[in-house]
Amino acid sequence: MAFDFEDMLRTVKDKQWALVDIDWDAPGADLITEEQRPKLKQFMTDLVWIENIGARGFAALARKAPNETVKEIYTYFHAEEQKHANAELALMRRWGMLEGDQVPEPNVNVRLAIQMLDRYADGAPLSGLATLIPMLECALDGALVKFLLDEVADPLCHEVFKHINSDESRHIAVDFQVLDLVGAGPLRRLLIESASILKPQILLGLLLYVPLLNKMRDNIVAMGLSERKLHNAVKRFVTNGQRSANTRRIPAYQLFKRQAAMVVDRTHPYHRYLADPLVRLTSRIPARLTGKTPSWARELTHEPVAE
Amino acid sequence: MTTGTVLIIGAGFAGLGTAIRLRQAGIDDFVVLERASDVGGTWRDNTYPGAACDVPSPLYSLSYAPNPGWSRAYSGGAEILDYIRSVVAEFDLRPHIRFGANVTGLSFEEGSGTWTARTEDGRRFTARAVVLASGPLANASLPDIPGIESYTGHKIHSARWDHDYDMTGKRIAVIGTGASAVQIIPRLVEQARTVRVFQRTPGWVMPRLDHGYPGWLTKLFRRRPAVQHAYRAALFWAHEVMALGLVWNSPFTTALQAVARAHLRLTVRDSWLRRQLTPDFRIGCKRVLMTSDYYPALQRENCKLITWPIATLAPNGIRTADGIEHEVDCIVFATGFEVHKTSTPYPITGRGGRVLAEEWSTGARAYKSVSVAGYPNLFLTFGPNSGPGHNSVLVYNESQVDYIVRAITLLRDRNLRTMDVRADIQDAFNAELHRKLARTTWNSGCRSWYLTEEGFNAAMYPGFAVQYARELAAFDADDYHLSG
Repeated sequence: MAFDFEDMLRTVKDKQWALVDIDWDAPGADLITEEQRPKLKQFMTDLVWIENIGARGFAALARKAPNETVKEIYTYFHAEEQKHANAELALMRRWGMLEGDQVPEPNVNVRLAIQMLDRYADGAPLSGLATLIPMLECALDGALVKFLLDEVADPLCHEVFKHINSDESRHIAVDFQVLDLVGAGPLRRLLIESASILKPQILLGLLLYVPLLNKMRDNIVAMGLSERKLHNAVKRFVTNGQRSANTRRIPAYQLFKRQAAMVVDRTHPYHRYLADPLVRLTSRIPARLTGKTPSWARELTHEPVAE
Repeated sequence: MTTGTVLIIGAGFAGLGTAIRLRQAGIDDFVVLERASDVGGTWRDNTYPGAACDVPSPLYSLSYAPNPGWSRAYSGGAEILDYIRSVVAEFDLRPHIRFGANVTGLSFEEGSGTWTARTEDGRRFTARAVVLASGPLANASLPDIPGIESYTGHKIHSARWDHDYDMTGKRIAVIGTGASAVQIIPRLVEQARTVRVFQRTPGWVMPRLDHGYPGWLTKLFRRRPAVQHAYRAALFWAHEVMALGLVWNSPFTTALQAVARAHLRLTVRDSWLRRQLTPDFRIGCKRVLMTSDYYPALQRENCKLITWPIATLAPNGIRTADGIEHEVDCIVFATGFEVHKTSTPYPITGRGGRVLAEEWSTGARAYKSVSVAGYPNLFLTFGPNSGPGHNSVLVYNESQVDYIVRAITLLRDRNLRTMDVRADIQDAFNAELHRKLARTTWNSGCRSWYLTEEGFNAAMYPGFAVQYARELAAFDADDYHLSG
């Protein structure tokens, strides 16, 4: 039976939650140990920025949506990713990791990704973005968040991520349905669309995406996330995609599938010859060269109420 | 019960224009039913700060009642309302108007060939012919937002402005970014503490070249009416040319978009804000917004554009899908009007008990936007597919009124009982009309208040104003079933 996007849109609207629904002063904040705090701060900072980047990705997708309903769904997903980032900031605030209205600084790879997205996301091919986003979400949902919940005892964190995971499960469901829809198009169109990946700016974007992903992978593994979990998360992306013959026809899916497999396998030469040198290279880029942060990346807030 | 030859419903531009033309044709026994206590229709109801017309005033006035005294190119609502009142006085229409007559239903009686209008206060008015001049923008519409009833702060609809509410120092939310909103927002930011603008889809914005009329020009218009007439004609043709880009998707559309983009680029500094304000549909598909002060207002310190979808209204404010609650003291709904694309403002019962809203349930259809088969002696102003996207609505309206007066004159002169447009003629007319509409910008894929949910366009006329005028210039009795 065909997927009912209208029905999904209704569910998305019905399931809206707000930061004010959560009691941010509820007991449990002291369950974060002093030992955990610095690592957790770094982890949460990365998570906040991944959500923010994901939000911008959905904003770009909304422009290319195959129909009006999907476009509206993406518009909500754009906002929901921002909500997740806001909620994670609110958690950081609860745990005493933020001073005043401070928003933690993104690392250089995130800043580069923000710049790239700001400039080129709206021009990127639909099949590329529509494949990349579910891959990141599978990793986020299946590895990062699970890991976080294993590590953190604060019950409020679990309550917040119950909401976030519920949203993410809808995101992933829609992501794969859209891939199925995109893959059902004529092969000629798929190929022409995929060929636009050869534009220099898109190639550059992909090249910057390699160290971004790798650096985060390494950070997270260093914190104790098992390679197994990451591997399983990527496997979920691959198996979900493999279920649809249409999705399998999408060149971008085939490309990202292979790349994802390389990322989780630390013994693959991809790391030695491409990813690691790029991580080293980008880490030397001075902050001033990454340019001014676009205003969409300055809208994050931990305040549930805007006066 | 009051009886006459014609009942006109509504004392706005269309109703008053019909009254004037009927009198000029020698028909004096007509009654104008007006639900409010004053004339002016849309211009009486829309008194929000900044209310003004999008069409230059010399063109947005009756061709036979020029006003040499317009103070500026695009006059404000109050000045337009004054003009309407002056027209009422000039043509001595007040004795014909029944104020406080809110029509609740209209029905046709086959035996006598008459229409009866019932009003809210229990009065009944009967006449041979009825002119529905209720206007497309008569009823304000509140959006379907969850929790709208739970909000405990102040609520104002742009079309029913609450002048007793002082905005000074208040936190205001404006929902909607259409034609009314872009006029209200620049005024609000000057008064309120904060203004949050909730946008669903951005519209194309063209700069509005507003200016005051110098004294010498006003004097010249007074002394030489022909000059003002020529000026009006020049404005008319300048607007007609716009149809090439706004009605049909053409290279001219791309050129107009380039102008709008340049305007955006020159006035909005932040690139993300520019992106949020850039429409993803062709210009003309939705109503073009004419304003030069909207973009600067949005960038004021105390103003913020919010494009997150509204999740729900809460007791203290608006919750958006990014999880934040925006606390506000007052919400201004600039969310448009109940445009009757599939219904009627009140039940209208025609021949054999047929109900117009039922026949229009899949989209309103009429003949030349004026007559509907099965509803004899009933005439519509601003009926289905009579809306312009590029020129003054009053130009279209004058054509409708002249057509209606011709029909009513024939009804009277031949002492006819009924005049009912032939269904086959109406069907053929609509088939052709919708074939033409399919090629217009309105039907090019965006959602707008011109279209029903199913994409049926019951609002707009697919052509130039001169084509519309030519179509309505002749009244052909053969198009109608006439009975004595």
